[in-house]
Amino acid sequence: MVTELTPNTEPKMRARDVSVFYGDKKAVDSVSIDIHTDYVTAFIGPSGCGKSTFLRSFNRMNDTIGAARVEGCIELDGEDIYKSGMDVVQLRARVGMVFQKPNPFPKSIYENIAYGPRIHGFAQGKAELDEIVERSLRRAGLWEEVKDRLSDSGTALSGGQQQRLCIARAIAVEPEVILMDEPASALDPIATAKIEELIDELRGRYAIIIVTHSMQQAARVSQRTAFFHLGHLVEYGETSQIFTTPREQRTQDYITGRYG
Amino acid sequence: MAEHTVKAFDEDITRLRGLIAEMGGLAELAIQEGLDALVNGDEELGQQVVARDKKLDVLESEVDAMAVRMLALRAPMADDLREIIAALKIAGVIERIGDYSKNIAKRVNRIEGRSRFEPLTLLRTMGDLAAEMVHDVLTAYAARDPIMAREVIERDAKVDAFYDSIFRNLVSHMVENPSTISSAAQLLFVARNLERIGDHATNVAEMVHFAAVGSYPTDIER
Repeated sequence: MVTELTPNTEPKMRARDVSVFYGDKKAVDSVSIDIHTDYVTAFIGPSGCGKSTFLRSFNRMNDTIGAARVEGCIELDGEDIYKSGMDVVQLRARVGMVFQKPNPFPKSIYENIAYGPRIHGFAQGKAELDEIVERSLRRAGLWEEVKDRLSDSGTALSGGQQQRLCIARAIAVEPEVILMDEPASALDPIATAKIEELIDELRGRYAIIIVTHSMQQAARVSQRTAFFHLGHLVEYGETSQIFTTPREQRTQDYITGRYG
Repeated sequence: MAEHTVKAFDEDITRLRGLIAEMGGLAELAIQEGLDALVNGDEELGQQVVARDKKLDVLESEVDAMAVRMLALRAPMADDLREIIAALKIAGVIERIGDYSKNIAKRVNRIEGRSRFEPLTLLRTMGDLAAEMVHDVLTAYAARDPIMAREVIERDAKVDAFYDSIFRNLVSHMVENPSTISSAAQLLFVARNLERIGDHATNVAEMVHFAAVGSYPTDIER
C-alpha cells in the first residue's frame, strides 16, 4: 500500500521550516511538508494547533491578516510564493480555497462560476464561457441538479449544493491546488458524503489539502494525514498507518480521544 | 494507559476484556478437565465438560455483539481499534479451543484397557503444556505484553514434538496389537486436538502482539 501511494512525481507544493506568527505568538512552528497531486492530504489536530493557519499560508491568505507574519519558504512547482513581485491574485487562482461556510456570490449560479474565468481572461466568448461553466459544474457533481436553473441565485441553493458550487467556482479557474478548510462541517451527512465523493473524484487532477475536525472524514477522504499539535507537525504519514498504528504517543492520544 | 475523555468507552473496553478473560478461564478448565475425564475414564466429568462448552458459545456471541456495537458507536482508532479487532478474533479462537476440549471429553467411553496405554500419560503432559500456553497467552493479553506473547508462540514447537512422538507410539501399538486399533485411533484424535489447541494459543498470541504494538510477531522475524 505504501509503494502504491509513493508518488513518483515532484511535490506540487513544498513547505520548508514554515513558522507563522500572530504578533508575538507563534501559531505554526517550523513546519516542513511536501504536498503531491497524487493524493489528498488531511491536516488534523485540536483547535488552535495551527493547522488552519498553516493551510492559509499555502495561498497567502494570511497576508489579509495584518498581524500575521510568515517565515520560511513555501514553493509551488519550485517557485517561492512569498518572493517579492509574486502576483498574489494569480497565486490564488492557482491555489484555490474552499471555506467552512459556503460563500457563493449573491449572483446567479452561472455568474458564480463565470466570474473567475472572465476576470482571468480564460474565455474568449460566450460559448467558451458556457463550456467552462458546464465543465466546472459537472466536475463538482452539480450540473444535473442546476442545469435548468443557471440564472437562479447561488444563495438559493441548499447548503450542500452551495458548497459544491463553491468547489465548482474554485475549479473554474483551472487551479493546481485546492485548499479546503472544514468544507463539510456545516453540512448534513448526505451532503457531506457528496463532498467527500467529489474530493475523491478530484484527486489526481488537483493537489488537495483538507483541514478537518472529523477524524473519520480524514480517514475516508485522504491518503496522507498530518497531525498538528501546539503549532508543531507531530506526525505525517500514510492515512491508514496514522489511524491504525500511529508512531507518536500524542497522535495516538488525540485520535483515540485521550487527548487533554 | 491514559483514560479516554469519554469514560463510557473505557468501561466498554474493560467489560470486553473481562469477557475474553472469562472465556480464557473456561477454555483452560475445559482442557484440563477434558483430559482428566479421558485419562481417568470419568464419564460424569466428561459430560460436564461437554455441557459447559455452551457457556463459551454464549460468551463468544456476547463478545461479537459488544465489539460490533463498539465499532459502530465509537468508531475507534489506533490501539482502540486494534484492541477490539483482536478481542473479536481471540473470542472466536478461544471458542474453537473449547470445541477441541469438548471433543476430547466426548471420547471418554471409547477407550478400552486404559492401563495398557502408556501414551495416556504422554497425552496428559502434552495437555498440560497446551493448557499452560492458553493460560499464559491470556496473562499476556491481560498485561498487553507482546514479549510474553512471543514466548508462548515459541512453546508451540514443544507441543508439536509431543504430537509426533505420541503419533509414532500409537502407530506402533496398533501394529503390534491390532485389538488396540480402535482405542489408539481415538487417542490419535485426542493428540491431534491438543496439537490444534497449541496452534490456536499461538493465534491468540499473535493477536495479543498485534493489539499491543500494531504488527504481527512474524513481521519482525521476516
